Amino acid sequence: MLSRQRLFWHLRPYDLPGSDRIFLQACRDNCAYHIRRCPGYAAICEHLGFSPGQLQTIEDLAKIPTIPTLFFKRKALFSMPRWRMAMKVTSSGTSGRYSQIGFDWGSILAEVPMVVGLGFRHHLVSAKPAHCIVLGYEPHRSNHTGVTRTMFGLTHFSPPLSRTYALRMVDGAYVPDLSHVVETLEKLERSHFPTRIVGFPSYLWFGLQQMVELGLRVKLPKGSRIILAGGWKQHSAQEVDKSTLYALVERTLGIPEENINELFGAVEHPIFYNTCERHHFHVPIYGRIIIRDPETLEPLPVGRVGLVDLISPLMTATPTLSVMTDDLGYLTPGEDCGCGIRSPYLTILGRVGMGDIQTCAAGAAELLGKGEAF
Amino acid sequence: MIFTDGKLLPDPERRAVLDGLGPRLDAIRTAPPLRAETVIGAVDALGKRLEAEGPGSLLSRALPAGMMLGELLPLLRREALEAKLSTELGPDPFAPRSFSQTTAHVLPLGVLFHIAPGNMPGLPVYTVLEGLLTGNINLLKLPHGDKGLSLMAFKLLVEQEPLLAPYIHAFDLPSGQTGDMKILADLADGLVTWGGDGAIQAARTLAGPGCKLVEWGHRLSFAYISGYEDEPAELSALAAHIAATGQRLCSSCQTIFLDTEDREVGTAFCRKFLPYLEAAAAGSPGPGAGAMASLSGHTALLERIVDGRAQGEALFRGKGCGLILRPDHELELSPMERNVLVKLLPKKDLLPTLRRQKGRLQTAGLLCTPEKRDELTGLLARAGLTRITRAGTMSAAFPGEAHDGEYPLRRYLRIVDVERA
Repeated sequence: MLSRQRLFWHLRPYDLPGSDRIFLQACRDNCAYHIRRCPGYAAICEHLGFSPGQLQTIEDLAKIPTIPTLFFKRKALFSMPRWRMAMKVTSSGTSGRYSQIGFDWGSILAEVPMVVGLGFRHHLVSAKPAHCIVLGYEPHRSNHTGVTRTMFGLTHFSPPLSRTYALRMVDGAYVPDLSHVVETLEKLERSHFPTRIVGFPSYLWFGLQQMVELGLRVKLPKGSRIILAGGWKQHSAQEVDKSTLYALVERTLGIPEENINELFGAVEHPIFYNTCERHHFHVPIYGRIIIRDPETLEPLPVGRVGLVDLISPLMTATPTLSVMTDDLGYLTPGEDCGCGIRSPYLTILGRVGMGDIQTCAAGAAELLGKGEAF
Repeated sequence: MIFTDGKLLPDPERRAVLDGLGPRLDAIRTAPPLRAETVIGAVDALGKRLEAEGPGSLLSRALPAGMMLGELLPLLRREALEAKLSTELGPDPFAPRSFSQTTAHVLPLGVLFHIAPGNMPGLPVYTVLEGLLTGNINLLKLPHGDKGLSLMAFKLLVEQEPLLAPYIHAFDLPSGQTGDMKILADLADGLVTWGGDGAIQAARTLAGPGCKLVEWGHRLSFAYISGYEDEPAELSALAAHIAATGQRLCSSCQTIFLDTEDREVGTAFCRKFLPYLEAAAAGSPGPGAGAMASLSGHTALLERIVDGRAQGEALFRGKGCGLILRPDHELELSPMERNVLVKLLPKKDLLPTLRRQKGRLQTAGLLCTPEKRDELTGLLARAGLTRITRAGTMSAAFPGEAHDGEYPLRRYLRIVDVERA
């Protein structure tokens, strides 16, 4: 799939118009590949009357059959045998259900230039070694969640000197240990090397709250950074205003606002969305976003709120060419941001709550913990 | 958290609590059993206390959105509990009965282990309450996602009546702790499971041969239409029921069956009913309701396509809802969220078709002309339905009603025959 590699090795990560042609070609090739290799996907395209040849302009992307993330939580679709995949990853399954997504070697090869390119662009890459604090899960062979792997991967943007985890594996179960993290931070204040905090925003918020309660405050060395990934997960009720969080970070850890990066992505759509200096998620060339009317699923114009449909020709092991999340959000023209990036940016407003549905008519084996192991 | 013997303990204490639980339960059982009057008195007093505290009470603040304390209070009254006891067990249920040579004593089953579902807030408390009313010791696995409502209710109940403390032990077991589930199941005389086929199946593997299984499995409900008494009113009521429950309850309408063999009649019905459903869906609470309807409907369509089942069906998409006219006649779960299946099922095929879902049938909302009602009601009852209602009251609670065709309290008791000297 050369067209995919051409797209991901393209040198200007936010030049959407300049990449439209190659993006469409990669989508056509990706769609044709899945139709050939995945009978389920072929049936969907046939039933909905779609064929790759219909992708002629960038507007045609809305015609690609969009598959809800909810679907992948109920059914696994693969376009290659397991042995040909690099890995299988599960979504975090916030409310008990999770999707299974396969990654092919080509997608991993394609992700390298994307992550490195955007990492430089957003000042994540540094040659200076750093101590890492991971406000997330310690990797473990029993943990197949994408977010755990992502966070571990994110510790490599600068040479990692040490890693401290907020969720540690003790006797086969994850145990939160924020106080150990706080103690480590106090030690790292005196280090010659910067600190990198990688993690869930909710954990950062709770950790900072705990520090405020204890009257603790540190000034981490210059060049220290915070990289937030993974969303607010089950703590969405406590979601806080970003500016409040940034102010608290500066006051409690001594890290200025411009050294905070936020990331967005999904197991079904592992595109490396980064916040710009004004904290907006601009769409990079590796993906396109369509906002759909929540009631009719028809595409909406820029600015209108709807369901977020993520499109990328990255994956060939699972047909995730067009994936509809259960997030509500909207796009804003890039020019309105003022950071200099011209591609539109995505604002997520929240989930419609599909994941939380448990019904008595539908069955709930997770009551007994069945079905959570991969 | 753990709630045991009236105390709230942190999860790390679980090992110690479980290790000591067997001897502790034996000690409790050695004493005479809990009396129903003690439970009724405590619940009634607690209900009055909550009523006096009003919506500011801690418990009412812990209630999930859409659930009002005012709706629960009537269930906590002495009269309601006494009525439940006498409906299910007859008058003076715990009095010994004498026969020629023996006296029959009614005793609690012993220890009940409840595995409660997360889909209905308050249900964990309700199932434990049924266990308490029959004098049983209750072990409870709290559902994933119980945000403290159940534990708070137990704490209040025991504060009200400390005698209840030894009879309630609730555990917040993380998924995957099957070892601890097995420990609790081994201590129980009865395993009370609420949940789907998977949960029931898993519970059966937990319960040893000496443990009685009480299964409140998932049920399916439907509407059956064979004419109308007042068509617009009945269709509006059915649509309102579908929109209000989001089809998430066992008693929610999943499929609408039409008493016809003519597909044209089915198409005409869908065209006619869709505006009713749209109107009802427009009044559904929550900004995401429309999105949930379309996501759920679209996902289910893709699933049917992948399973090769989408041929021959017709989709009628409305705003925030949908109707799927299917070519088959089977009762099945709908995609939910106001996406309803419509199927043809002439009266002559009713019984054999429904028998294929035996053990899963619950409510039929019957819409028909008055002269057909008795006959169709009888037929539905003989097919295995346990509730037959009008169009809009499929999920309504009726005083004195049974639970899935049974009186649960009877299953939590046992009879001891004692030969007289």
